[in-house]
Amino acid sequence: MELLLALTIGVLMASSVYLMLDRNVIRFLFGLILLSNAANLVIFLSGRLTAGAPPLIDEGAYAPTGVVANALPQALVLTAIVIGFGLLAFTLALVYRTYRSLGTVNSDEMRLAEPVSAPRTTPHPDPTAAPGTPPASDPTLDKTDATTTPTGGEARA
Amino acid sequence: MSWILVNPILIPLVTAVLAYLFRTSPAGRWISVAGTVVLLFASLILMGEVLEHGVIAGQMSNWQAPFGITLVADYLGGVMVVITAITAMATVIYTLAEIPERLERLGFHALLQVLVAAVCGAFLTGDLFNLYVWFEVMLISSFGLLVLGGSKEQLDGGIKYVTLNLVSTIMFLSGIGLLYGITGTLNMADLHLAVREVENAGLLTTIAVMFMVAFGVKAALFPLFFWLPASYHTPPVAVSAIFAGLLTKVGVYALIRSFTLIFDQDVTFTHTILLWLAVATMVTGVLGAAAMNDFRRILSFHIISQIGYMVLGLALFTPLGLVGAVFYLVHHIIVKANLFFVAGVAKRIGGSTDLSRLGGLYAHAPLLAFLFLIPAFSLAGFPPLSGFWAKYVVVKAALDLEMWFVAGASLAVGLLTIYSMTKIWGAAFWPKHPDGIKPRLGDLPAGERVALMAPIVGLAVLTCIIGLFPEPFVQFAETSAEQLLDPTAYVTTVLGVQP
Amino acid sequence: MADDYPKVDRVMGGASGWFSIALPAVLFLYFLGLVPQIAETPQVRGIEWVPSLGIGLSVLLDGLSLTFALLITGIGTAVTLYSARYLGQHPDYPRFVAYLMLFMVGMLGLVLAGNLISLFVFWEVTTIASYLLIGFNADSAKSRRSALQALLVTGTGGLILLAGMIVLGTVAGSFELVEILSQGEMLRDHPWYLAILLLFLAGAFTKSAQVPFHFWLPNAMAAPTPVSAYLHSATMVKAGVFLLARMNPALGGTEAWFWMLTLFGGVTAVFASVMSLRQTDIKQVLAYTTLMALGTLTMFIGAGTHYAIMAAMLFLVVHSLYKAALFLMIGIVDHATGTRETGVLGGLAKAMPLTGLAAALAAVSMAGIPPMVGFIGKEFMYKAGLGLGGFGAIWVTVMIFAASVMMFVVAGIVAWKPFRGELRQTPHAAHEGPWPMLAGPLVLGALSLIFGLFPGILAHYFVGPATHAVFGEVREVHLYLWGGINMALVLSLLTFLAGWLMYRRHEAIRDRLTRIEEGSRVNFDAGWDRVLDGLKALAAWQTRLIQTGNLQTYMAVIFASFTILVGATFLLRGGMGSGINYQADGIHPIQWTVLALIAMGAILATITSSRMTAVAALGVVGIGVALIFIMFSAPDVAITQLLVEVLVVVLVALVMLRLPHLPVRSASGFRAGHAAIAAAFGILSTLVMIAVLQTPFDRRLTDFFEIASWPEAHGRNIVNVILVDFRATDTFGEIVVVVIAAVGAYALLRGAPGARPTPEDEEPAQVAAADKGEKV
Repeated sequence: MELLLALTIGVLMASSVYLMLDRNVIRFLFGLILLSNAANLVIFLSGRLTAGAPPLIDEGAYAPTGVVANALPQALVLTAIVIGFGLLAFTLALVYRTYRSLGTVNSDEMRLAEPVSAPRTTPHPDPTAAPGTPPASDPTLDKTDATTTPTGGEARA
Repeated sequence: MSWILVNPILIPLVTAVLAYLFRTSPAGRWISVAGTVVLLFASLILMGEVLEHGVIAGQMSNWQAPFGITLVADYLGGVMVVITAITAMATVIYTLAEIPERLERLGFHALLQVLVAAVCGAFLTGDLFNLYVWFEVMLISSFGLLVLGGSKEQLDGGIKYVTLNLVSTIMFLSGIGLLYGITGTLNMADLHLAVREVENAGLLTTIAVMFMVAFGVKAALFPLFFWLPASYHTPPVAVSAIFAGLLTKVGVYALIRSFTLIFDQDVTFTHTILLWLAVATMVTGVLGAAAMNDFRRILSFHIISQIGYMVLGLALFTPLGLVGAVFYLVHHIIVKANLFFVAGVAKRIGGSTDLSRLGGLYAHAPLLAFLFLIPAFSLAGFPPLSGFWAKYVVVKAALDLEMWFVAGASLAVGLLTIYSMTKIWGAAFWPKHPDGIKPRLGDLPAGERVALMAPIVGLAVLTCIIGLFPEPFVQFAETSAEQLLDPTAYVTTVLGVQP
Repeated sequence: MADDYPKVDRVMGGASGWFSIALPAVLFLYFLGLVPQIAETPQVRGIEWVPSLGIGLSVLLDGLSLTFALLITGIGTAVTLYSARYLGQHPDYPRFVAYLMLFMVGMLGLVLAGNLISLFVFWEVTTIASYLLIGFNADSAKSRRSALQALLVTGTGGLILLAGMIVLGTVAGSFELVEILSQGEMLRDHPWYLAILLLFLAGAFTKSAQVPFHFWLPNAMAAPTPVSAYLHSATMVKAGVFLLARMNPALGGTEAWFWMLTLFGGVTAVFASVMSLRQTDIKQVLAYTTLMALGTLTMFIGAGTHYAIMAAMLFLVVHSLYKAALFLMIGIVDHATGTRETGVLGGLAKAMPLTGLAAALAAVSMAGIPPMVGFIGKEFMYKAGLGLGGFGAIWVTVMIFAASVMMFVVAGIVAWKPFRGELRQTPHAAHEGPWPMLAGPLVLGALSLIFGLFPGILAHYFVGPATHAVFGEVREVHLYLWGGINMALVLSLLTFLAGWLMYRRHEAIRDRLTRIEEGSRVNFDAGWDRVLDGLKALAAWQTRLIQTGNLQTYMAVIFASFTILVGATFLLRGGMGSGINYQADGIHPIQWTVLALIAMGAILATITSSRMTAVAALGVVGIGVALIFIMFSAPDVAITQLLVEVLVVVLVALVMLRLPHLPVRSASGFRAGHAAIAAAFGILSTLVMIAVLQTPFDRRLTDFFEIASWPEAHGRNIVNVILVDFRATDTFGEIVVVVIAAVGAYALLRGAPGARPTPEDEEPAQVAAADKGEKV
């Protein structure tokens, strides 16, 4: 079972990485959720598995009778789950707010902080963005794709 | 003993609560100032204890290590807390004139104080999972600060900062799980002993490299630093300054701590990787700075370059190398925060941080020019300022090991650092302002002038003191390096037994 | 140049002016008082500075350092007196004084240092001061460029020198000069000797502007004239020469030393003297003759015989005296007439008799005509050159002959031509300079004469002790004007003849040189620009390559780095251990189902382009994970997981309704690359996880919790006890995270505008500043 679970973790990790590599920030969020789950499983599994014996002490006993599951990873996972939720909630708010402000969830189009000084392909000229970055045509920006794909804002409209 | 260790975490948290309650009134910001003053005292008391005892430890809820969570302060931890308190105080004073009421009402000071608490927590904890928790507290409060105000640039930079940092945190968390899986413990002192029992040494090294990457993202090592230049120039200057001073340094601290205390089993392998990452970080960072044309973006890239020096000191793994790393950490926090402060004032009176939109500061704001030169030349490694000693020690450590190429690279990076600093000087200070503005400090309201300039003066004085009287600081760094290379005292104090 | 600024009413520069004059004067007298004592016995004094790094502020007082100290403070007094009048009414004069004093302190520290590293500290201080002084006219782009050039060229050399010093200190076991200088034999035989030598030479040659690093010095003439006289002629540029002289007992005397120094020095001397003929601006003429002098000094230190060292030390003093005087003189002329062009100036002798006198004294010394001390200097250089053996003698003598002829010509150009003949039209009407500006050149010129007439003083107190310090052993030094008829005298006479002939035709020669230079492809100054442009281009290129501004690339690089670094380690260090031991223990069908559910959910979330399907798939994964927790005895975790999962799904779904549809996908080329990274990452995770599971598990923490939970912490649910007691600090942090996430998200959303961003969102920092401005 441990091996199979390790395999499942691998699938979760691979899926989440693939999602996080997407240029759509929403997909990144999905990846993040999966990755958190995978990390929690890593901790849980690292403490080894015990079936059917929750780490409880029976009434009247001073210590668990017989072998019970490893309690420490459970505590760690609990903490990690809650923390992960907090971060996820914030990130969700950030993505939402970013979309409202920039009109896109496509990270290719998020070029205000590090502007391309060549004629801007984004529909959001920002007078405050600092000019003066060395003239650059972005080697990673796939021009045809960027122009043919409707931006998030248009899709929504 | 315990309270002394808890105070640096608790004081900012209490301050945060109070500041949040009073966020709509001027009282909030003064509570914040007072909180940092108290924190500074608390950190000095802590430092005093550390100087007296070497290492001090406190078991939380009185559960003996490794079962409970231990707070520990050795020389390195102690000095990091002190320097955090100093930076926090400087930043909070600076914010009095920089952060508008609109942001204060949104809870600026609470977020800032929580950030400080988390940084102190990270420096003081002796437990790996607890370190993760403090990392997360630090991260969430820095998220809040970074995008507070919500300009488009901030949101854009924020997305990159948040996403990349979350990835690193989850890598860290998984690493903790795996390390627990092979050692059965989380306490770092206990881990120091437990890793010696691990049979599968190759697996331990693999996990060590996982930590290296996870912390490497935090510390902004090559090729993991992207989030930093993408975001550090976007928030208000005070936020940039405290981020620049403290956040990456927590990553460096975590690297130093874990790669001296825990992962010291396969040094030839792990520290060789660190060495080349460090060299690449120095070079790419400084070239990035040379390519930028914005005051704050140049400074941001410099952080990366200087992180390279610190990690280089660690990677050399000699007493002198670690002296360099520790000295560099302390020096860099002071200098870098200060340069961001100067950038903020330049923007305030000159109207921009874009170097092509700045000028005339030398003629019209001579005090600011002078106060820029001190940290700038210090950063560039000119004697007799703090940066020279930091650079000198690291270069000497490399030369002692006959690593000619590494030493040569560090010196060449020093030259490029000079170049990029003169780029700022030669654009923002010497020439006339392109719009004919005469940027005068005197045009600022008196109260704001004091709030903006006091931190700059204070940090510049510290830079000069370290530069002119380096002996006590070097001695301190030497003791610190000894403690790091031979963690016996650390382990004994935490576990209460002879290892 | 000196007049187009708003004047500030100060007499002699006000308080800062008087201070700047008094400080070098007092120091000069102090050092003068030390002369008799130090001439007999050198001294080492000093205080501790950074003992743990072996660095002290020790002072090595011997003939060499004291001679330099006297030049620095003596000429310093002349220069500060001069500048108080020359620049005293400049609005930035106090800053000028500050930089000048910074320089003087640095330069004194440099020559007096008894410790290599503290020598370096002061070395860099002079570099900084020079940068600030060259850029003093900050409005001029030319000044700024020249300042940067000087800083970077000497800074590069400085950093290389630092490496050399560290290596030398390591080899010698100390940074104290006394210790190093006494280990010459060991050092010269050390395998690293050549490396150390080259590193030192890089520092010395850049600072002392030897070809091919010379180009910054003529450009440095953008500084105000007193600065040129002081830093870039009399003192700072001699720091490199000083260093060579200082290190001679430790590093000198080898073949490599001899040829490196005599070749670079000789080439510099001849190149510079030819270039000086080519100039029309007298300040530039002087700049190039300074280069010539630096080359000559380097050459003689390299030659290394007692006579050569003596000639070098003598020429050091001689040159400083006449060159500072000439620079100050041309400053007066510039001040009075508004020009420094040789073609324009003429007949100034009547209008400016005292200036003319100062110029004459200095120039006669420069030309090497008796009875000035310059004559003695030239004689001894010839003697030293002729005294060398073999090819060295020919090389050095020829170089000296060429340089001396040129100096004769230059002396005519700078001090003869402008003053004789009819008074010519200049931008301002020529008039005599004020006494504070005349005092320096006159005194310095007079000294050239006095030392020429009474060379014994010079020999006994300065040249002798300095030669001793550099050469390393005591030998008698005897200087004289008339040494009888010998080869040197013959060469001197030939020099005058050739010089006179060339002076008659110097304008024609200049035109010829100009044409040659314009046709030449070798232009060091332009080469510098190309180097700098290349550097900028490299920086821009690498930054575009790395910091693309594209989140996708960043993410891909980080995951790829993780996979490569961790994967390589796993393979190279044998992380798998003994391989996979698969035990087919019975797996319940429900377990199969749950695992399959998770995997399918994850894959579905990856491939779907419907956001609601994706959210549902995520929910499935979350529930699957919760089921695993339940199956393996973690009910509390499972409950929390379910709760959180529901919250997440609801939140995501809610937000999703207000966000656009998914189909913004990566290009397919990217997708394949991303899939490869993802797959590698997944496989690596699985392998590492399996490897971890195959190690024996140490359960002692949990064993303790199980025993202590009830008796000591009074809880029966061990997980809860861990959370609220054993590891309460974690839980505390966890609460902080959630609270701050709420605060942060609230702050983020509260100002959220409608569909269109409001102007308020455009620029927070500016708005911030404005807000603040209104508030206060």
